Formats: sequence, C-alpha cells, structure tokens
Amino acid sequence: MIRSICSRALFLCGAVALALGTAPFAAQAQGKKELTIAFFVKNLSNPNWRAARIGAEKAAKEQGAKLEHVAPTKPDNIEEQTRLTEDWLVKKPDGFVFVPVDFKALIPAVQKAIDAKMPVALYSNNMPDVHGVVTYVGSDDTTIEYEVSKFLFKKMGGTGKLIHIDGNPAAITAQQRKVGFEKALKEYPGIELLASQPGQYRRLPAVQVFENLMQRYPQIDGVVSANDDMAVGVVEALTTAGRANKTLVVGIDVIPDAAALIKEGRLFASADYSLHDQAYIATTALVKHIRGEKVPKQMILPVKIATRDNIAAWEPKMEDRATPNYAAVVAAQQ
Amino acid sequence: MTPSELAIPRPLRTLFGERGFIVLTRFLALAALVVALSLLSPVFLTWGNFVVVARQAALQLLMSAGLTVVVLAGGIDLSVGAVLALAACLGATWIATGHIAAGVAAGLGVGLACGLANGVLVAYARIPSFIATYGMLWIAQGLSYAFTKGNVIQGFPAGFRIVGTGFLGGIPVLLWVGVAVVVLLQVLLHYTVFGRSIYAIGGNLSAARRSGMPVRLRLAAVYGLSGLLTGFAALIVIARLNSAESSIGEDLLLPAIAAVCLGGTSLFGGAGSVTGTAIGSLILALIGNGMNLLVIDTLWQNAVMGGIVLLSVVMDQLGGARLLPGR
Amino acid sequence: MSARTDSMSAARHRMPDWLARTPGAFYVLAGMFLALSVWTPGFFTRANLTNVGLQVAVLTILSLGMTLVILTEGIDLSLGPVLSLCGVCAALVVVSGHGLALAIPAALLVGAACGLLNGALIALAGMPPFIVTLGLFGIAQSIATVLTGGESVTNLPAYFRWFNHGEFLALPMPIWGLIACFALTYVLLYHTRFGRYVFAIGGNRQALTLSGSPVNRYHIAVYVYAGVLAALASFIMTARMNSAHPTVGVGLEFDAIAAVILGGTSFEKGRGGLIGTVAGAFAVGVLRNGLNLVGLGAEWQVAMIGVVIIGAVGLDSWRNLNA
Repeated sequence: MIRSICSRALFLCGAVALALGTAPFAAQAQGKKELTIAFFVKNLSNPNWRAARIGAEKAAKEQGAKLEHVAPTKPDNIEEQTRLTEDWLVKKPDGFVFVPVDFKALIPAVQKAIDAKMPVALYSNNMPDVHGVVTYVGSDDTTIEYEVSKFLFKKMGGTGKLIHIDGNPAAITAQQRKVGFEKALKEYPGIELLASQPGQYRRLPAVQVFENLMQRYPQIDGVVSANDDMAVGVVEALTTAGRANKTLVVGIDVIPDAAALIKEGRLFASADYSLHDQAYIATTALVKHIRGEKVPKQMILPVKIATRDNIAAWEPKMEDRATPNYAAVVAAQQ
Repeated sequence: MTPSELAIPRPLRTLFGERGFIVLTRFLALAALVVALSLLSPVFLTWGNFVVVARQAALQLLMSAGLTVVVLAGGIDLSVGAVLALAACLGATWIATGHIAAGVAAGLGVGLACGLANGVLVAYARIPSFIATYGMLWIAQGLSYAFTKGNVIQGFPAGFRIVGTGFLGGIPVLLWVGVAVVVLLQVLLHYTVFGRSIYAIGGNLSAARRSGMPVRLRLAAVYGLSGLLTGFAALIVIARLNSAESSIGEDLLLPAIAAVCLGGTSLFGGAGSVTGTAIGSLILALIGNGMNLLVIDTLWQNAVMGGIVLLSVVMDQLGGARLLPGR
Repeated sequence: MSARTDSMSAARHRMPDWLARTPGAFYVLAGMFLALSVWTPGFFTRANLTNVGLQVAVLTILSLGMTLVILTEGIDLSLGPVLSLCGVCAALVVVSGHGLALAIPAALLVGAACGLLNGALIALAGMPPFIVTLGLFGIAQSIATVLTGGESVTNLPAYFRWFNHGEFLALPMPIWGLIACFALTYVLLYHTRFGRYVFAIGGNRQALTLSGSPVNRYHIAVYVYAGVLAALASFIMTARMNSAHPTVGVGLEFDAIAAVILGGTSFEKGRGGLIGTVAGAFAVGVLRNGLNLVGLGAEWQVAMIGVVIIGAVGLDSWRNLNA
C-alpha cells in the first residue's frame, strides 16, 4: 500500500512538474545582454490591450529588448495585479512598463517595486502619488472624453437631446471619462442630457440598455459612449430600430469594427486612446532610460479624433500600424 | 419539514400542487411587475418596448436553458459563460469569412465537447459539479483568450444576422427561436425516457441508481446537452451583436442562475422546468428594462437585482415549496 | 481531522490512516513546491516565499470561514463583496478621523450583520444558501459601490498599514493574523459545542431539529463567523493596497470554495477539516505564484488553473473510487 501511495505521489509530482516544465520559461535575464522588460496590461480580453502589446513589441524589437507580457487571469482584478507586481519583482526583469488596474489601489505595489530599484514606466493611467517613476506616457481619460464630447456637441450645433452610456461604474477609467464628459456638457448648456446609464463597457449590455432607452426617448440626437465596444452596440441597436441616420454616436478607442462603421458613416467619430502608441513610446523610453539616456518625466500624447475624413490612418491592422516618432514626441513635450 | 414550513397553512399549496404554486407566484410577480412598470412609465406598454423586452428575455432564456437542464439533474454548471464565449469565438471565425455552416458546426461542436467533458468529470470521475464546471470555466476562458488574443471577430453575413435582429410575421425571430427551444425541451423533459430520467436523477440519485438505469451515461449526456444548448446560445448572441470577443461570457453566469431560480427550479434538482426559466428570464428582462426606463441610478442596479432574486425565493418558502431535499 | 463515516474508515484500514486521509491538495502542494524549487529560480527565496505567504493570508482566512459554512452543507458566495464592504467601511471611518477604535468594531459589525442576514434567511426561513448568498453578493456589492461612489478610498493614516506591514517576532502581521484565525477556528470547530453543531448540522440537520436542539442559532452563528473572518481579512487587504476599493474582494469567494474543496471538505455530508483548507488555499497561492514565475503566458495560466483544480479534486475522487 505504501508503495502504491508513494508511486501515486511521485506520479503526481512528475505530472505537475512536467506541466510546469513544458511551459515556456522566462528568459534568464542575468548574464544576457538583451534586456527583459515586463509589460503589464489590465486584462486579456479587451482589444485595446492587444494593441498595446503589439505597440510595445515593436518598440522592444527596435531597441533590442525582450518583452514578457503580464496580465491578470481575472480581468481588471486589483488583488491579482498586486500579486503579479510582487511576483515579477522576484523575477528581476530589467524594467516594468506598467498600467494600474486602479491608480490608487496599486500604489503600494508599484512603490515597492520602485523602492527595490526596479525602473518603472507608466502608461495610460497616471499614478501621481508614486515617487520615482521613470516616465508617464499617456492620453488622459478625462481629456479624451472631454475632447470627443465637445466634438460631438459642436457637430450637433450646441443643441439637442443626448444620452450618455457609461462604462462599468466601479472602473476608474469610467469615472474619469465621466468627469471629462460632464466638463464638456457644462460648456454646452443647449445640450439636454436625457439619461446616463451604464453599459458595463460591454457590447451586449450596451445594446440592451440602449434599446430600452430608445423606447422611452423617441428622439435622441446624440450618444456619448464611454468606449467603442458599447458605441458599436449602440449603432447596431439604432440600425435595428431604423433610427441610425437620426442619431450621432461617438465612442473611444477606434477598435477595428468601430473604424469600419466610421468609414460607412454609421458611427460619427471615435477618439483614439492609442494604447498602441502609448505602449510604444513608454517601452522605448524605458529601455533608453535603462541604457543611460535621459527621458522626459511625462509624455502626453495628443488626442486624435477619428472621423470619416481621416479614418484611413486607422485602417491598417494593428501589426502594420505605423509607430510614432519617439524623437518628435519628446520634442513636442517642451 | 422545517418548523417554518409547518407554520404555513396548506390549503393554497394543496390547491395548486407544489410546482403549481410556484408557477402561480411567478405569474403574480410578472403581473405585478407589468402593472407597476405600466403605471410608472408611459412607454412601457408599447409594441416597440414589447419587442425589445421579448428579444432580451428570449436571449436570456437561451443562455440559461443549458443551465436549467443541468440543475434539474441535480448539478450546477458554472462554466456556462466561458463555454459560450469559446463557442462564440470559434464559430465566429468561420462565419465571418462566409462559411456559415462550418461556423455553426464549430460553435455547436465546441459547446457539446465542453459539456461532455463536464459530464464525464461529474458522472464518471465523480468530481463535484461545482469543481468540475469551475475548472472548465477557467479552461474555456483561457482557451478563448489564447485563441482570440484579444481580437474582436466581426462582420457576419446578413443571412446569419437575421436570427438576432430579424422579424418573422411581425414577431422577432429571436422570440420564435426562444419559444421553439422551450417547446422542444419541454417535450424532451416530459415525454422521453431520457428527459424523465433527468428529473429522477436530480430528485433522488440513489433511487435512480438502484432502479437500474444507466445513471452515469445519462448524467454525462445531460451535461453534453447543456453544452450543446450553450453553443447554440453562443451563435444567437453573435448574430445579435454582429461580433464576437473573448469577454462575451463574463457577467453571464449570475443572470443565468438568477433566471433559473426566479423560474422556480430547485437548485437541488428534480423539480422545476424550462418554462419556469422562461418566466424567470422574462422577469429579469422586465427588471432591466424597467431600470433603464426609469433611469434608476447606476450604482443601485446590482442591489435591485440581488434583492429581487432574494424576494422570489422568500415567496417560494412562504408557499412551502420543496426547495431543499427532505425539507 | 475527523468525521468520516464508518464505511469509509473500513475501506481505509489497509492504508496508514494519515496517508489515506490526506486530501489531494497536500500532494499537489508538495509536488508544485518541489518542482518549482528545483526548476524555477527565484521561487525558493525568502522574498518570494514571504510574498506567497502574504498573498495567501487573505484567501486562507476567508477559506476558514468558508470551511465551516460548507461543513453545514451550505455555501457563501457573498464573502468576497462582504470583504470589500468591510474594508470600505473601515477605511471610511478611519479617513473621517475616527481612528481604529471605531473602525475595527465597525467593520466587524458589518461583517457580522451580513452573516446574520445570510444565516437568518438560511436557517430560519429555510432558503437555499446558494440563492441567499448570491442575493447578498449583489446587495453588498452595491452598498460598497454607493458608499464610495465607485472609487477607491485613499489617504488612509499611516498606522493602518501596520495590518499588512507590521512585524512581530520577525513574522509579518498577516501571517500572525492567519495563525490567530486558524487557532481560533480550530478551537471553535474541534473543541466547542459550536463545532459539534457545525458537523451535526452538516450531517443531519433534520434529526437535530426534531430532537429539539437549538439548531438555528448555531446555524446562523456559522454565517456570522464567516462574515467576521471576512472583516478581519479585509483589514489586511486594505492595508496591503493602502486603499479600499468596492470590488477588491470579488472573485475571492470562488477561490475560497475551491481551496476548501481541494482541502478535502466535501459538499455532501459535512466531511473535512481545517488543515486541509489551509493546504488548499496555499496550493492555490503557490500555483498562481508558480505560474507567474515560470512565465507561462497569461492566457495559458487561466486554462492551467482550471486543469490543476480539476486534477487535484479528480485525484481525490480516483483514490476514493479505488481505495
């Protein structure tokens, strides 16, 4: 019997070891000239983070560095990202390019990394209370929503009935975008806000929420949607109801299906958050910093609004998208 | 019987029978919701709104149908959302390039495979359904991420999309599909040996075993059926949305469970029906519709959902329903 | 560990007792520990092992309460949001200047109240635990979100960090918290009447009720206790993040359930034990830590977690079938 137990235990240890062993090993950073950078994203499912990873990969390739991708298994999970930061600190890559799932809750973890002499570059969400960050590269959530909302209100001629589809209320990006939206709304008193309801940043909930709202409000002139996933859903709902040409919809992200709709004229505009560009710049800056170059403390990328006229720039697949000019971005910060 | 049960007068219960009482309370709840919303919102009782609610309810029913069958057999399926996402992503890949038949087969096939995997783990390896399906949730979700790499698959042929957005005889196609599924499942559950054995297994597993029926095979088949239904739901969802991504399945599990419970199906198996889930789905759709029409503050919407689920079960208890074994 | 039925013990008499009873979690934990120490640089270091211990502390405390609940044939899906809610309450109290003396009892009270609500609906009204705690999941989540407006509560006074960063005799506070909660739960479960009721409720609640024992109050107490443990865990979590976020605990309840089942406690017929739960929680923690260190792509990590969970419990099933 003992033999049987031991053999089973051994078998299990072997099986587990085999399973772990067949996984690709992280590059042993020690003793190799190639730098290893840990690149963090918020989740595995949002296409934006895919864009970010692609942008970062391009930068890493140009700079002669290896990228390791880090994402929580539970999307946008605060506790898990904290754990990931700690675990990766143990692995000692040459640097972190990081975006916090929540810019307040991740402060201790990131500060701990910085205090342990890990170079950290932030992108997308700034963490103002963390000291010693190499650089922050970003488009601000608040500014983006502000600009794209203003863009819509101008087109609406400063008057009309508006619906706001919010993201997941507990998500920090949703709150910040709402702040930007409300700021723009204040500047256009002629715009009447009919309702603000949450679409949870996802397409299906947004479709259903908007369908319900369409029942209550027979006339909707504009819709500000906190992201494109939902904006596309709103457009689909409008199309199904035959009201597509009566309502202007704007979103954020310029995801591929949104770009297609913009080209067709069914989605009015979308603001480019350009995680692809942010990731590229942040990774480039971090590698340069590690190699001794000076990099600016902050690099704000301008908000680009995609409309039917300029949508061509967004058509190529993410892999083929042009990368921004690092030197130009740095120069623009002066 | 628990002391609380003994204290409840029985005439109502005996008049309608146990399940009958639950169905009655559900219809009363539905009626109450409809009346309340009609009074609170002038647009509620319009044809346009009816179409919207019907579509949402039908979709919710399709997403909860598989779960219903598993729960009737005495198990639970936590992987519904993730399997739906996986089936959707795989099916969408073919459908987007115009190969509708291949895509449909892929979607259904993936659902069936995951369901059977669950079934084998539960029936043959005797792993508790909670753990087996929880593990499958992670596996399916991981495979979705790996397969799509964060990409969105979009742009389906109009012929495919008609299922999600089209009309047939003035009624949304989705509603026809929902009704058809309910009818088919009811027939399966009540008029076939397999279907009746689902109730038997859920109601009293040891008796089912002793009766000589091939319990393990049937149980595995139940999970397989559930997976197939989930795969079917996946196709409907992507027809509705005209796109597929790996995050579709997140947030689908809890509403599915809510729909099943609101429908009066006992979580311990052996009692309930797909019709109940249909009613539960309708109630959920009405609540969602109502919260939007009345523009209820975003932050409270979770509490409203949670509260209503609780309320429905409280009502069942007051009716002395058999929701727990031996009580 | 205790409370196996006679038939099972008879089947086991061929194996040495302790070996036979050891749940799969121990093997998985040992196997992973061995494999990682040998193959993965950085795992078997003081820094990393401390990390793992700290990371797992919250989950383990939560799992202790969950063990008791599952022993009574129940389940508590609300523990994650309850943890978030308690953390939010404590943080709000502390931030508004009222100090720990008010914050700690406030959080404990909130946890106990949620447990009381759960327990009352389950024990007195006889409602299924799955539904009750699911309903409370939504309610607790909403309250936490409303209280904070969806944002994190920050600017906590520096002394709050002691819950995570403080040390006593070279051991970090979360480890002490874990040890204390484990000791308390162990004593409660195995050496008090409360504990005997926990096993009895799981075994045959009907018989107890018919015999006239005051079952309900103990049944409710189980959920209250789970809520209190969630409150205690929330201090560590809040200190770790130096902020309280309304969704920080979401998902932990499923991990806790997995940890408990991995540890050998079964849903049916109240069998199992606390030590197994701790092993299960550590197995989950080591698994996640290991997958990160090994550098497995995040997508495959997700799938791998499912495989290991099924594998570990499957191992137990296989042994039960073949014993």
